[in-house]
Amino acid sequence: MAIFIDGPEVKITKVGDTTVQLEVYKGDTYPSLEPKRLFPRSSLTQYVTLMEETADGTAKEVAIIRNIENLDKESRKAIEDCFANYYMIPVILEVLDVVEKYGMVSWTCRTDKGVITFKIRNRLSDIKLLYDGRVLIRDSADNRYEIPNVSKLDKKSRKLLANEL
Amino acid sequence: MKKTDVTKPRPQGAKTNAANKKMASKYSGVHECKKDYLSNKEMSEAIEATLYSTLGDGEKLIFVIVSDLDNAGKYGESALAFTDKRVINVDAERAESYEYSEIGSAKAKRMYGNAAIYIEGDSLKRTRVFRYTYSIVALCDMAAQFLNDLAGGTSFESALEIVQATYDKLNLVCPKCGRTLLRAGAQCIQCQSKTKVVAKLVKYVKPEFKSLMLCVLISCVTTFLALVPPYMTRTIVDEVLPMSVAGEIAKGMAMLTGVVILLLGTHFLSHALGALRGYLTRRSGDRIVLNLRNDVYKKAQHLPMKFYDKTSTGSVINRISGDTATIQAFVLKITQECIVQFILMIGIILIMLIMNPKLTLLSLIPVPLVVIGSRIFSKKIAPFYHKIWRRWAKVTSVMTDTVPCIRVVKAFAGEDRAVDRFEKQNAEWYKVDMASAKITMVFPHIISFAVTCGSLLIWAVGGRWALLGDVSAGLLVSFISYASMFYGPVNFFAALSDSYQSALASTERILDILDAETEQNRDDAIKVDRLDGKIEFKNVNFSFDKTKKTLSNVSLTIEAGDIVGIVGTTGSGKSTLINLLLRFYDNYEGEILVDGHNIKDLDINSYRSCIGYVQQEPMMFSDTIFNNIAYGIPNASVEQVIHAAEVANAHEFITKQPDCYDSMLGERGVGLSGGEKQRLSIARAVLKNPSILVFDEATAAVDSETENQIQEAIERLISGRTTLMIAHRLSTLRKANKIVVVDEGKIIEFGSHDELMALKGKYYRLIEIQSMSNKDTISIK
Repeated sequence: MAIFIDGPEVKITKVGDTTVQLEVYKGDTYPSLEPKRLFPRSSLTQYVTLMEETADGTAKEVAIIRNIENLDKESRKAIEDCFANYYMIPVILEVLDVVEKYGMVSWTCRTDKGVITFKIRNRLSDIKLLYDGRVLIRDSADNRYEIPNVSKLDKKSRKLLANEL
Repeated sequence: MKKTDVTKPRPQGAKTNAANKKMASKYSGVHECKKDYLSNKEMSEAIEATLYSTLGDGEKLIFVIVSDLDNAGKYGESALAFTDKRVINVDAERAESYEYSEIGSAKAKRMYGNAAIYIEGDSLKRTRVFRYTYSIVALCDMAAQFLNDLAGGTSFESALEIVQATYDKLNLVCPKCGRTLLRAGAQCIQCQSKTKVVAKLVKYVKPEFKSLMLCVLISCVTTFLALVPPYMTRTIVDEVLPMSVAGEIAKGMAMLTGVVILLLGTHFLSHALGALRGYLTRRSGDRIVLNLRNDVYKKAQHLPMKFYDKTSTGSVINRISGDTATIQAFVLKITQECIVQFILMIGIILIMLIMNPKLTLLSLIPVPLVVIGSRIFSKKIAPFYHKIWRRWAKVTSVMTDTVPCIRVVKAFAGEDRAVDRFEKQNAEWYKVDMASAKITMVFPHIISFAVTCGSLLIWAVGGRWALLGDVSAGLLVSFISYASMFYGPVNFFAALSDSYQSALASTERILDILDAETEQNRDDAIKVDRLDGKIEFKNVNFSFDKTKKTLSNVSLTIEAGDIVGIVGTTGSGKSTLINLLLRFYDNYEGEILVDGHNIKDLDINSYRSCIGYVQQEPMMFSDTIFNNIAYGIPNASVEQVIHAAEVANAHEFITKQPDCYDSMLGERGVGLSGGEKQRLSIARAVLKNPSILVFDEATAAVDSETENQIQEAIERLISGRTTLMIAHRLSTLRKANKIVVVDEGKIIEFGSHDELMALKGKYYRLIEIQSMSNKDTISIK
């Protein structure tokens, strides 16, 4: 069974691009664990698993952090820095153009990672509109994008997306 | 050791070695010129400059992967260049390089929405050398493999073979849309068929052309007949009624009778022709939707599994039922009503112009308003049809999820949750439908109001002219009749954009199926009657989507007649091996050969008919036991079916059913136990007399006694055939002469039971675990 971490009982230090060292004050130290969100779509800070790579290349869970917001500042930053490398879900801030050609819809968007043009193969299955206005998009190469709240986009963006959602 | 070169962008003419200088000058600014290294796309000038300034004298650039991310993980550009000596990570500002000799291993790590290549060696700690999106994962997987091959002692030339093959495959893309083609020179199915939406529908209308033209002809006659009554009204008002004032009552009565008889004849003919036209139109419409629905269903049967991985069955059913009906209505509207209404409109305008040009111009005043209003309406309503359909597809998805799983719903007392979920989706649909209703309900009334104003204008102006004696009362009454008739077509064309938008949305969804890429047979596909059964997997890589590699560089040779057990933990890729062998997915890298033929070169139906497939969860159709066994060979004789049932140990339980072979199975085989269904599924495979047999956990869900019966059946069936058996219970593999151990998408062990036990690897551990668990079971007993 996984150990659940509430926060104050551990110290977490970043040791690699996507790995951290976990030091349990009243227990063991794990030199290289990879943090991953258990709910990457629905919760960004809660329930983060720490996985250790075993000798045969498989991953074994060592602990689960209930909420990284309860960790000390440095530990939390270590986890967030790993997430910044591991997760890439650009947030669409503005839709600049939507063009349909040869059965593919091409979106050009300004995201928090820069401007990108990507293709959507099937708007019916690759665009998921959630209840709260959140939109999850998957492009033809399986890259992911997100619009946190479509109603908060500017008027032009909403107009361009009117036929897509 | 790691060598780091930090370089600023090189100014034009900066120092490069001679060969690369020549290459750089050839390359820069002339994209069509031939490069002597492989690359997925052109490097930016800045990166190119940094790279060339890094290269040593005589160092040869072999291949370059250009990423769409910079080293900080933002959209930008960086590149991973491979020379004959080292690998160089380069962006516009700097370059870092690593000699091949210092790299002990490389890993292409797929993360969430992006991936990275990591390298490490004896004196090199784990280092990230490249970051990229999933757009270039195949290339980067190849790059990691290239580095691992070199580290493993493969010669540079041999390691380059996979590089060349990957770049060759990269070039197999449609120049128009960028989709991957099946082979070089193949026509892109998507682009080939993506002509105008309306043109696609012509195919279905064409066979009904004569019938529809006849309908149009009848419509012309009925339209002409419809123009007669108002004219007769004028005759009555202006000519017949004044006769009473003039005292010519008898003459007037005779004329009135004549006019009434003429009107009666006109109405009778009009309705008779209308009924005939209605019948013909319905017949043509039904035929159109019949063919369209058949085609969509037929196409849905031949769509590859990857289509169904991403599309809910509810959505497919919705398209086959609802969308085809929407298109039928629209096609009829276009081919019939449009023509009729147009003819009617022109006819009325002509008559009105002849009767009184001034009043005609007055009646045309609302027309521009209607046209402009239609355009605005069309723009506003279009997005709603997509939205409504998407919400409705979600509602049907809930139904297709919960209704077939009603046993699970009830067992877990999930009725209320199912209802909640349904109501939530239904409420979403209602919300959007109501938003569209505001537009669809208000618009026609605005148009009607404009039209009414037009009629009032004619009354106001025409009435004044009648009072002044400029026009007769009969002409005015008859003109008003024509004017109200005229607004019918105007209203029709105004509302047409609504149906057009709705049909366009439906057509798009239908074409999503009709235009989808099917499981493909090459034109020169080889038909096979029988196979010896030698199977070879050569460097096969596969992922369902790019987020996770399911099979990684799988190479395996199974000789004809071998009985091969495939073992591994859940999710290791065992079933995927079978899925690829059965050609459920064709989008893998590498080759799968059967009897020396690439399976993609074989005719898909004849190839599959040589394979008997028994799944873990046998699927039964709502049909008799006989027909379920004979599913693969519909013309099988009764005795063949009985023999197959006997071989499969199914005959005995079938004879215990009241209706024996005529017993009807409910949906998905309800009425039979898991073991019974499994034996029917084996009988189905026996009947096909296949060259290759595949058992995917055939005994996983049955009790020990049933397992023995199934095992007996399997052993009778497999003699002399190449057999692949996936099994969790390793005891079921007692007949296997070879065992394949799959782990994390790779084949980690391959050999006989004894060889693998001696190896003391994963297989040994699995056997140990199962032996221990059996002992535990015994001790509990």
